[in-house]
Amino acid sequence: MRISKMRYFFPLGLFLGLFLDGTFSNLFSKQMFSTNFSIESRLFVLWLVMCVCLGEVEHSMFWAVCVGFVFDLYYTGIIGPFVMIVPLIVYLTKIMYSFFKPSFIVVLLIYLIDIALLTLLFYWINVMIGFTNSSLTSFISTTLGPTLAYNLAAFVICYFPLQRFIETFSR
Amino acid sequence: MQRFFFNKRLIIILVSLIIGFLLIALSITVRNNKATPPLVQQIGNDAVGIVDRVVEYPVAFVKGAGGTVSDLLNTYSENQKLKQQVDSLATQKASDEALRRENSQLKQQLKLNKSLTDFKKISAYTISRAPSSWQNQIVISKGSLAGVTKNAAVLSEKGLVGRVVEVNKTNSKVELVSSTNDSANRFATQIQTDSGVVNGLITGYNSDTNRLLMGQITSQKKIKKGDQVITSGMGGNSPKGILVGTVVKVAKDDYGLASKVELKPAADLTNLDVVTVAKRTD
Repeated sequence: MRISKMRYFFPLGLFLGLFLDGTFSNLFSKQMFSTNFSIESRLFVLWLVMCVCLGEVEHSMFWAVCVGFVFDLYYTGIIGPFVMIVPLIVYLTKIMYSFFKPSFIVVLLIYLIDIALLTLLFYWINVMIGFTNSSLTSFISTTLGPTLAYNLAAFVICYFPLQRFIETFSR
Repeated sequence: MQRFFFNKRLIIILVSLIIGFLLIALSITVRNNKATPPLVQQIGNDAVGIVDRVVEYPVAFVKGAGGTVSDLLNTYSENQKLKQQVDSLATQKASDEALRRENSQLKQQLKLNKSLTDFKKISAYTISRAPSSWQNQIVISKGSLAGVTKNAAVLSEKGLVGRVVEVNKTNSKVELVSSTNDSANRFATQIQTDSGVVNGLITGYNSDTNRLLMGQITSQKKIKKGDQVITSGMGGNSPKGILVGTVVKVAKDDYGLASKVELKPAADLTNLDVVTVAKRTD
């Protein structure tokens, strides 16, 4: 049986994206966590969605649980939210993608739906466990909007290089 | 009933939901009650921390190179400003030194070896920050091996930044004072007014205006704008005398009995390359 190189690059890229999220949040915290808005960088979700859509990856569910677990363990210390949300994202992406033919716009829309859902669910869990008391309206204007804008920009910049990369190594 | 249990997908979803919420409950219990997380979690955190340092280093290097260029452009105007400050600093330093010496002599006479203002400094650099709006947490590069303890106060060069919430062997998590969760922001502080000190607690943070809220103030002493607020050392976690901020607004609280004071934080919470953990020595 032929083994695709994506088998190694998929988890590596996931964790690289995860650590880059944290590093960018730290180095550019003045721009990303200002008083009126906060941006949640989700580069690992970009890699996850693109690999699930465009590449041939194995065990995507397993790696999704792993990366969610490491996120919770390392960044927030509250294990649980991302362990549940990230596999859900993979599952939804697979379902949504099965209805479409691959194209830039389709992957973009799926990615935006995923990011919006992830941010919303993460907010909802944090409201439930008492980590925030911000209202839904202020959540939408201060977090959801800027987060979607930032991740959209990241997608547009990274799509074509990543697509080339994934297609090369999926063969 | 038989069919229900054969619906595999539903079972998987339910079981993972239950496990997920159990994990959340467990980690919040550990966070609120235990001094350190379970050993497995510590080992995981340490391993991830080491990998993260490898990723963080080149990115920080590139950003540092960019920063150097902009620093170079600012040098001239900055130099002018700093020159004016240097003269006053030298005299200040001399008088500080004299006071410190006098203070230690007086302490010796009183046989006071340790007081609330003494603390051990543990410097650490920031590895990363949680990419989350709801947990204002940073991960710093020192852990229990360097002597960091849970709930210790963390400061930057300008003032109070937050407190340690989780200690692993080689890294720890710091919750910034801008967090608004239920168990955060309970620093015992005091306002240094002209007529004496006024004690209170940091009770919250307003993220729209970047102001800390200080409540539980029952003293009738006059508080004015610009008064400095420092930690009072009460409560046993933070040492005394760390600058928290300056008063910008004084108002009565919702019931009209106690005062509610808004503070401008002294530290810049978005620029934390290096932080210091203040470990109390008494």
